[in-house]
Amino acid sequence: MSARRRYASAVRRVVVNMLIDYSAEHPYHRASVAALQDASEQTGVAVEVRVVPTDTIDDADRLTDPGAAVFIGPGTPYRNPEAAHAVIRSARARGAPLVAT
Amino acid sequence: MLVEHARSLAGVADASHAEYGPGGRPVISLLACSLQDQTIDVELTPGSLLSRLYGRPRAIERTTCSYGLTPEFRHIADEHGMRTAATDGTGEVRATERVDHPFFVGTLYQPQLTTVPGAAHPVFVGLLQAASGGRLAFGTAR
Repeated sequence: MSARRRYASAVRRVVVNMLIDYSAEHPYHRASVAALQDASEQTGVAVEVRVVPTDTIDDADRLTDPGAAVFIGPGTPYRNPEAAHAVIRSARARGAPLVAT
Repeated sequence: MLVEHARSLAGVADASHAEYGPGGRPVISLLACSLQDQTIDVELTPGSLLSRLYGRPRAIERTTCSYGLTPEFRHIADEHGMRTAATDGTGEVRATERVDHPFFVGTLYQPQLTTVPGAAHPVFVGLLQAASGGRLAFGTAR
């Protein structure tokens, strides 16, 4: 799907697949979720944050489907860096929005 | 992001990240001077998506990074669709973005550490707007 088709119609609810291996209690994990929630409140775009530990990824393309964005969270070394690279490659090729911090 | 870029597009098939140990050619390596838990001034590249999101030429950011782009591979930040979006006071690359993609931004600092309710970081504002198909709001920096 081309980038132009992906963004042909606006939606007000998005899924953000957040790749992070830190536990939910880790300050950087909490800060990352909070940052998306703050942006959601500011933009009016509802966000569903799906936490994706890198060692659970078996299909990178599933995380870059239309309507989904990718957030490569902090915390290297990842448990499965090759899976993280596959998701980045998929987002690049399929036009999925991505932020890596 | 830069390792994938190096492997897939920049012709460095064995590109690696030094944090994972020896092997391959490390395009990401330990900084000579660690930026762990520091505040840095970043200069945003004029005309970049990142600079338009911030709406200003400079910003103060927090970083927990001890690793950065290896000087030998500095050039890949501006090749094959990638471009430098921000540098720090030493000239080190602190952010890159793709010019052939609607929204593809990587930072070697942590914007989630400076976002606060009512003043979300422009990187995350942009991410949600891009994902929703909405128009990007430029100049949302606090």
